[in-house]
Amino acid sequence: MKILISADGADLEARVANRFGTSRYLVIVDTETGDFDAVPNPGISGQRGSGMQAVVLAVSKDVKAVLTGYCAPAICNQLEANDIEVLTGLDGRVREIVERYKQGNIGKRTGTGLQTLRREPKIGSAAFIGAIRNSVNQFAGILPAFVGVVLLIGLFHTFVSKDFLASIFSGNVALDTLRSASFGSILAGNPINSYIIAGELLKYGLSLVAVTALIITWVTVGLIQLPAEIAALGTKFAILRNVVSFILSIPIAILTVAIFNLVKG
Amino acid sequence: MESKSKNHRRRLLFFPSFVLLIYGILFVTVPDKALVALRSSGDVFVNIIPPLAFVFAVMVGMNLFLKPAQIAAFLGRAGGIKGIALSAAAGIISMGPIYVWYPLLKELRERGAPNTLIAVFLYNRAVKPFLLPVMIAYFGLAYVVILTLMTILGSIVVGYSVGILVNDKHGLPD
Repeated sequence: MKILISADGADLEARVANRFGTSRYLVIVDTETGDFDAVPNPGISGQRGSGMQAVVLAVSKDVKAVLTGYCAPAICNQLEANDIEVLTGLDGRVREIVERYKQGNIGKRTGTGLQTLRREPKIGSAAFIGAIRNSVNQFAGILPAFVGVVLLIGLFHTFVSKDFLASIFSGNVALDTLRSASFGSILAGNPINSYIIAGELLKYGLSLVAVTALIITWVTVGLIQLPAEIAALGTKFAILRNVVSFILSIPIAILTVAIFNLVKG
Repeated sequence: MESKSKNHRRRLLFFPSFVLLIYGILFVTVPDKALVALRSSGDVFVNIIPPLAFVFAVMVGMNLFLKPAQIAAFLGRAGGIKGIALSAAAGIISMGPIYVWYPLLKELRERGAPNTLIAVFLYNRAVKPFLLPVMIAYFGLAYVVILTLMTILGSIVVGYSVGILVNDKHGLPD
């Protein structure tokens, strides 16, 4: 069984670090073999989301327990949601803590400042309320742009003539598809808006291939998010991924509509 | 942190506020047409309410059973076809704005998750199970099923293409 201890150093003689999310090292110990691996904490920067990076590490390494000085409640919840036990309030050398854990002594010796966080039932009422709260927040995040798009559609219906659209979209499927794919690449936001816009453009006579290209590029190509993608994943990766996704959106749109027409008969 | 959150809220409200301003101007200048536009928007709203209710229910279910760390941990756990399938599944079930996922993807990449799998994950975010009811309401079930399958297949082509083109140590999975 693997346990993870936040530590100030990269070996078993290091002291247990007070904060799980931002400690210098995370020492992963196999309690059966005694083997250990000291990994620099990916969350050491202390920036937003850094604690989550340590959670991802713990999950990916199949750790069953995290032992630390302090763990923020949100991070504890994430660890527990992934079936990882969290033991806090610990101090001393990593080796001592491991021995105490193996002997089942943690939680008995000190009595002060030491706690085993209670594990919530997987799908209890608290989890359900939490899920509803998250969904409401996500919905609230979508809603303003969604309302704006629907209101804009009303204006579009009333004030934009078919002649005007014809001047933008030529009726040439290839050209319209290219323009729609470019339009989808520039715009961003929740894909629900792309469905509504695409649905309305379809009613105005834009080809299904062009509309499909717009829906695909809306999410797969992100010019607005490109700087963030470059910062996270590198310039070469981000640019190539967006270019390849843009180019491929057109054959995917053509194939989708061709198969759809075949199915429809 | 608080000012970031305020800026985010401001950005969210900018677009609908701008549209409402246009409505305000139109109600003063051409009230009849503005009313027609508002009614037209109302019709769109009414049509979309049932699928939106379903969307909310699916979102609650996904929030209840799926955690970001679990999803992210899918990536980089396996190579080959299994890795592709896990990354595609992770992309499909991931929710929230993409910038929330960048730190996790960066971390996974630094730990050896191949570029191919990251690209597959990102492309499959175009498949939104919780939004499918809205898409079906607009385009019909057959179209949505075909587009979804084509998107998943397309993600594999994009993933491998990016892996080959980037051509570094994070390239192709085993």
